[in-house]
Amino acid sequence: MDLPVKMLILAVAVPVLGAFLIPIAARVSTTARNAFAVLLGLFTFLAAASLFSTVLGGQTASWGLSFPRGFDLILHADLLSVFMASVSAFVSMIILIYSVDYISHYENQTEYYLMVVLFLGSMMGLVFSANLMWMYVFWEMTGFASWRLVGFFRSDRDVAKANKTILVTVFGALCMLIGIIIVYFDYGTLDLRMLHGQAISYAAAAFILVGILSKSATLPFSTWLPDAGVAPSTVTSLLHAAVLVKIGVYAYARIFGVTFAAPDAFSNAVLYIAGASALVSAGAALIDTDIKRIIAYSTISQLAFIFLGLASGNKTAFIGAILYILMHSVAKGGLFLCAGIIEQNAHTKDINKMGGLFSSMPVTGVAFALCSLSVMGIPPFGGFFSKFLVFSGAAQNGNLTVLLMFLAGAVMTLLYLVRLFYKIFLGEPAGHNNPKEGSFTMVASVMALALIGLALGALIYYPSAYAELLTNSLGVNLQ
Amino acid sequence: MDKGLLAYLLIPLLSAVIIPFAAKNRPKLADILANVTLLAGLANLAWLALRPSIIRGEFADIPGDGLSLLLVAAIYLVAFCVTFFSAWFLDEHLPNRQAYYSLILVSVAAMCGVVTTTDFFTLYVFIEVLAVTSFALITTDESSGGIEGALKYFFLTFPASALIIVGIAVMMMSLGGLSFESLRIFMAADAPAGTVTFAAALMMLGFLIKAGVAPFHAWTPDAYQGAYAPVSAYLAGIVTKISGVYAIIKLATLLRFFDGRAQAVSEMVMFLGMFSIALGALAALKQTNFKRMLAFSSISQVGYIVLAAGLGTPLAIMGAVFHLLNHATFKTVLFLNSASVEKSAGTTDMDKLGGLEHSMPWTSWTSIVALLSTAGVPPLSGFWSKLLIILALWESGLKTYAVLALLFSIVTLAYFMMMQKKVFFGKKTAAAESSPEVSAPLLAPVVLMSALIVALGLLFPYFYTYVKMVAERIIL
Repeated sequence: MDLPVKMLILAVAVPVLGAFLIPIAARVSTTARNAFAVLLGLFTFLAAASLFSTVLGGQTASWGLSFPRGFDLILHADLLSVFMASVSAFVSMIILIYSVDYISHYENQTEYYLMVVLFLGSMMGLVFSANLMWMYVFWEMTGFASWRLVGFFRSDRDVAKANKTILVTVFGALCMLIGIIIVYFDYGTLDLRMLHGQAISYAAAAFILVGILSKSATLPFSTWLPDAGVAPSTVTSLLHAAVLVKIGVYAYARIFGVTFAAPDAFSNAVLYIAGASALVSAGAALIDTDIKRIIAYSTISQLAFIFLGLASGNKTAFIGAILYILMHSVAKGGLFLCAGIIEQNAHTKDINKMGGLFSSMPVTGVAFALCSLSVMGIPPFGGFFSKFLVFSGAAQNGNLTVLLMFLAGAVMTLLYLVRLFYKIFLGEPAGHNNPKEGSFTMVASVMALALIGLALGALIYYPSAYAELLTNSLGVNLQ
Repeated sequence: MDKGLLAYLLIPLLSAVIIPFAAKNRPKLADILANVTLLAGLANLAWLALRPSIIRGEFADIPGDGLSLLLVAAIYLVAFCVTFFSAWFLDEHLPNRQAYYSLILVSVAAMCGVVTTTDFFTLYVFIEVLAVTSFALITTDESSGGIEGALKYFFLTFPASALIIVGIAVMMMSLGGLSFESLRIFMAADAPAGTVTFAAALMMLGFLIKAGVAPFHAWTPDAYQGAYAPVSAYLAGIVTKISGVYAIIKLATLLRFFDGRAQAVSEMVMFLGMFSIALGALAALKQTNFKRMLAFSSISQVGYIVLAAGLGTPLAIMGAVFHLLNHATFKTVLFLNSASVEKSAGTTDMDKLGGLEHSMPWTSWTSIVALLSTAGVPPLSGFWSKLLIILALWESGLKTYAVLALLFSIVTLAYFMMMQKKVFFGKKTAAAESSPEVSAPLLAPVVLMSALIVALGLLFPYFYTYVKMVAERIIL
């Protein structure tokens, strides 16, 4: 077995199986458990990133395990899966490091680490799966992990919101399964490598789309995401900004971007759904007063921009969307982690009770500002380039209504983030006693994410060259 | 009668006879004898079916039709878990301890009879033996609930027995024989079916009542709720599945539903199966008692098996058999867990429970595994069996049934999420304050079954090979 294939298997197997060893590590000591969890995250990232050299050399790595009726477990590393896996594993690793301090004074810590690492492993499995059935299997596993994580605090309200999360996403997943079954009976196989370039029926595409939209919290399935904000901030950051919601986007790119040739009318419908989603959620972000709900609405809105890029049907937009996944994961992950520091030290989530926090938490404030600028799409941050490419691709597509919807969405992004920053860090202090800055690892994590966002903008040549290579070699039916 | 498996019938029967005498003055001996009998049977079965050479040969060396062996294994497994659990669960001074174990062993023998027999009359006799022992087992709990459940069970399944015997009589008259083989040959020939189908439909109706399929389900919630907790696990896990569901699957293959013979019966069975799925799941949403919710969930899950049996294609039969076995595993876990909760917190009323997850972590986690398997969440075993059933439905063009069956998984998940929230999560209630985790022996069967749920899910290819072999043998 070649080294890349080994790395591919390890990137999935180590976190999935290692997660169940965390309770054993917890028997040894708390430190051993935390270190073990962080190491699992680090290893996963390194294993996924080590595959870059293979795929950049124009090769792919595959490994299969035979299952009856064509449901083989196939792991396949290509440009898209390695990119997605590395981005998610990297952000997850940062979140694990941040968690060590953040989570240290709550109950159920062992379960928390188990579920985070299991989630990471399922995510790796999902990303590398080249068989739709196994994509579905890992899809449900991520749903299970997120159910336990959202319900981390066990009050009735938390558990009810966790149940809502899993019921909405599982409903979507079951619809997706119907779509997968249609594909199975149409083509006799679920191996994505063999389905490359085939046409897909409207019914199958529509059912799969329901699954994707529910996981990516896009209209009309978006309501679970703000509600899931009851979870600890690390969880919201992991699930609802950086990794989980990207599953839907990834699945769209994987299924309709690089495998099937989606019908034009279908892509157009997606554009309108995404446009509506961007506007509605941006509006909600403008009026809400809960810091985490605002960032969650912002996530819904930004995900719509990624859909815009993926569904526009030309290379420029697709490249922009791929870059957008990277930039948004880093910046939005950073924003949620900042919110975690603020919430934990100010003991409130209501932005009306904050104000003037900049003097007491300068580093968090700077990191928050840098991440916000990247989300807004201000040059020279990474977010600017991705947003620019998506818009220029959408303009090429020539659908003026959609373009205007998204332009309005982008302006609103600017407004609600400025409002959020002003309310929290500037203005008059509103009845708090100058909460202190977060711990060193926590502040370092958010600062790292903020600076990476800046660096990605400065070195935009490399990621965009990668995205271009990806689009040219894998894209289907793009102009 | 499949003679190779006769020993599995006779040995428990023998133990059942010995127990009242041997354990007359030493009640603990009854526990030991019952457990040893069943464990020995299990070890034997494992040797028979799980030797490496057998697995390598894709189970081709398994004698008989393979289905009997599989079901005997399921019977022994559930019965062993229940007796092992009972040994620690039952009150020290229960007066009729010996009778309890004897009854369980007799019903194990009767169930082995049901799954190994090859003619309808013997089937009927064994099913009646099973009905009488179940009736007696429900009354082991001498409270009013137990008696009420037992009486309901008796009165509502009695007409079923009448229907079955009438069906047998009509079949005897029109077919001239009662062996499974003669019915199979008759259905394979092109003769007009007429009275034979009528006879089969009568029997089918009887078995549907015995299986607790909606709208004939009225007895199941009361019987399961009223009985002693381990007894309800035993009844829901395996007894009603053998006395009703197994017979339905058997009849479905004999009637050759898959090539369009007896189509009206097939369609009726499928409709009732779907109806059961829907009604059981929706009713479970409304329950506030843990055991009653599980009973309705059982009705819903039986619906999946009956739906697949009614379709009758090889793939559907594979799904049905697989789901039957899965149901035995996850329903046993959930019912035994409800017993543990009852023992520890003193109630199964979900409104009075809450916050048990910290004091009873093992019970909480095994429940999660079992409920996810019931709801068909991958990669657990329940997912694969449900998937096979849905693929079979889709393959035969019954897309509406396939989509409905799939989407009702979300209702299943919803009521179980509610259950988990009320019982294990949330704030500690008064009842939960002083409820420690039950002792290790009570957890062992539950953990074993949960491990089986995970293992069957991950080792799906092996199990698939086995049920494929079964489906090929019983349908050709």
